[in-house]
Amino acid sequence: MAGILVYSEKQQLVRELLGKARQIADEKGTAVAAVYLGESIPADVAEFGDWGADTVYTVASPLLVGLNPETYTDALAGVIEQVEPDLVLVGATKSGLEISARVAARLGAGVASFCVDFSLDHGFVTADCMIYSGVGKNTYKIKTQPALATVNAAVFTAVETGGVAKVTAVDAAIKEPALKIIEYKEKAAAGVKWEDAPMIVDVGQGMNSQDDLPIAESLAALFDGQVACSRPVSSERDWFPEWLGLSGKRVHADLTVTLGISGSVQHVVGIRDSKTIIAVNTDENAGIFSQADYGVVADLHEFVPIFTDVLKAKSAKLA
Amino acid sequence: MKIAVCIKYSLDASEVKVDPASKELKMAGVPYKVGVIDKHVLETAVTLKETYGGTVHALTVGPTKAKESFREALAFGLEDVTLIENPLEGEVAPDVTAVILAKAIEKLGDVDVVVCGEVSDDGFTYQVPPRLAEALHMPQISFARTAAIEDGQLVADRDLEDSVQTVAAPLPALISVMEECNTPRRPTLLEAMKAKKKPVNIWNVETDLGLSIAELQQKAALEKVHAEGVVVHRKQYVLKGDDLNALSNELVDLLLADHIIEGGA
Ligand SMILES: Cc1cc2nc3c(=O)[nH]c(=O)nc-3n(C[C@H](O)[C@H](O)[C@H](O)COP(=O)(O)OP(=O)(O)OC[C@H]3O[C@@H](n4cnc5c(N)ncnc54)[C@H](O)[C@@H]3O)c2cc1C
Ligand SMILES: Nc1ncnc2c1ncn2[C@@H]1O[C@H](COP(=O)(O)O)[C@@H](O)[C@H]1O
Repeated sequence: MAGILVYSEKQQLVRELLGKARQIADEKGTAVAAVYLGESIPADVAEFGDWGADTVYTVASPLLVGLNPETYTDALAGVIEQVEPDLVLVGATKSGLEISARVAARLGAGVASFCVDFSLDHGFVTADCMIYSGVGKNTYKIKTQPALATVNAAVFTAVETGGVAKVTAVDAAIKEPALKIIEYKEKAAAGVKWEDAPMIVDVGQGMNSQDDLPIAESLAALFDGQVACSRPVSSERDWFPEWLGLSGKRVHADLTVTLGISGSVQHVVGIRDSKTIIAVNTDENAGIFSQADYGVVADLHEFVPIFTDVLKAKSAKLA
Repeated sequence: MKIAVCIKYSLDASEVKVDPASKELKMAGVPYKVGVIDKHVLETAVTLKETYGGTVHALTVGPTKAKESFREALAFGLEDVTLIENPLEGEVAPDVTAVILAKAIEKLGDVDVVVCGEVSDDGFTYQVPPRLAEALHMPQISFARTAAIEDGQLVADRDLEDSVQTVAAPLPALISVMEECNTPRRPTLLEAMKAKKKPVNIWNVETDLGLSIAELQQKAALEKVHAEGVVVHRKQYVLKGDDLNALSNELVDLLLADHIIEGGA
């Protein structure tokens, strides 16, 4: 198959990758396929056809569990070798980043990391990629065939096409892995999705204590918004299961209010697609002020409750 | 136990600025240093050595001018650092880096554990550790938050989006760690003094590793054709003052005037 192959263990990400792949493939008159890897194949895999796949290649094996990098690498490499696509788009989840690089090393292929746009010309791929944590963008020509690219969630848009996909089982050789999963603990699922929230209150290490979170929640409630956070607030303080930023989620809110966020590039990438950004920080030299539309130099614990009251008083819609 | 660590002389990406008019990335004067993630990599390796015994050898691919920057790494308690001269113009690509590091690890000989960071501060590809594991035919524990040796196996917590898994891999194995895996020590003055006597070896890919520069150039799969900065336009109004009531009113009035929120109270 010439054309574009799409893989992620996240079904929504597969649909997004298919959306872009379908558009480019239609322009170039080429094919699009999705890959499904797992212990067993769910009855509804053909539904990727609805989102733009002509074919769904499946590999089922009892060894495809727990996102074991070795078995998933064997399976994805096996599909690529049989299908021979020009381009493989892989969702940039942690597992996706790992197995795409391993597959590429095995096949002698190049990977464009954190691709945000690409084109296909006579089977050769040119990709725009985020660099330096999102400060810049490089355009690369990928000299290998296949070429691989990793893509974050919410970079491309899923488009329902109403197409029908053919499902083809691939017989990939999967070896018994050296790495064994001894214990598998599912993480608590996050509540409402930040990605879809109209408004975000983004809490950083400047907030003193988890007991202060109601300050952020009251502000968010005015806008039917969600309270989100920076990486250290999640990974070190454990106030939330997820964070915003380069290695976390990205939001597209109408309004994002940051509270006690310093403005590191890695964090700002997660919020910079917001229409409006308001930043509250005690340090007037904080980098976040150059990334915000409105900045307030103040202690968040004192300022935000007053600001929330004034918003209620002056806006009928919010009261 | 012989431990190899891969660390990188990295550009400080937070200092890269963009010219808003030309979208040019302003790279002049941007400082380089041993990366933030590398301190966690070193801490992991040195803790393993202290707990289970052994030696730690750091490897890095980069410019020879970086040599002196590795003194602080040595002060963590390593045996030595080996700096492999970057054979290519500009930044080293992840595919090429992995090939070079694999060769260097083979040359060290009998390495039991390879420690990497999950991602480098500036390359930011997440590619080198899995490519290296593939080249060395080693199992890899990625996104590790812990690291231990139990019954001759490397055991660690692997932290993915939806799960935390305790996994085990037979040695030799590669582990790539997250920033959250530990708090790096601050070497003492004495350790820093001692580190001055430790070697930073320089290796050449052709004479020391038997690789061909021409072939390595061929291996670099990505050719950069264009670079530009991402320009985000923000109003950047900054309000300050001691009267928080006045500040709040001023901000809300601005938001109303700019139609960010609707009024009508
Ligand atoms: C490879 C890599 C990937 C990363 N990915 C991410 C990512 O995805 N997401 C992410 O968030 N980070 C990420 N980081 C970490 C990032 O570099 C920063 O360290 C982090 O974002 C800082 O979080 P913060 O702004 O909450 O805390 P800090 O940097 O500690 O800032 C706290 C701010 O609060 C202000 N403050 C203090 N007290 C108050 C008060 N009372 N009222 C108001 N303001 C106050 C301070 O002036 C300061 O500016 C990554 C780093 C690396 C190296
Ligand atoms: N030039 C290099 N020299 C040594 N190790 C490197 C180099 N580049 C990357 N690495 C290792 O690979 C990890 C991930 O880097 P990257 O693939 O660039 O995101 C780093 O944390 C290092 O452990």
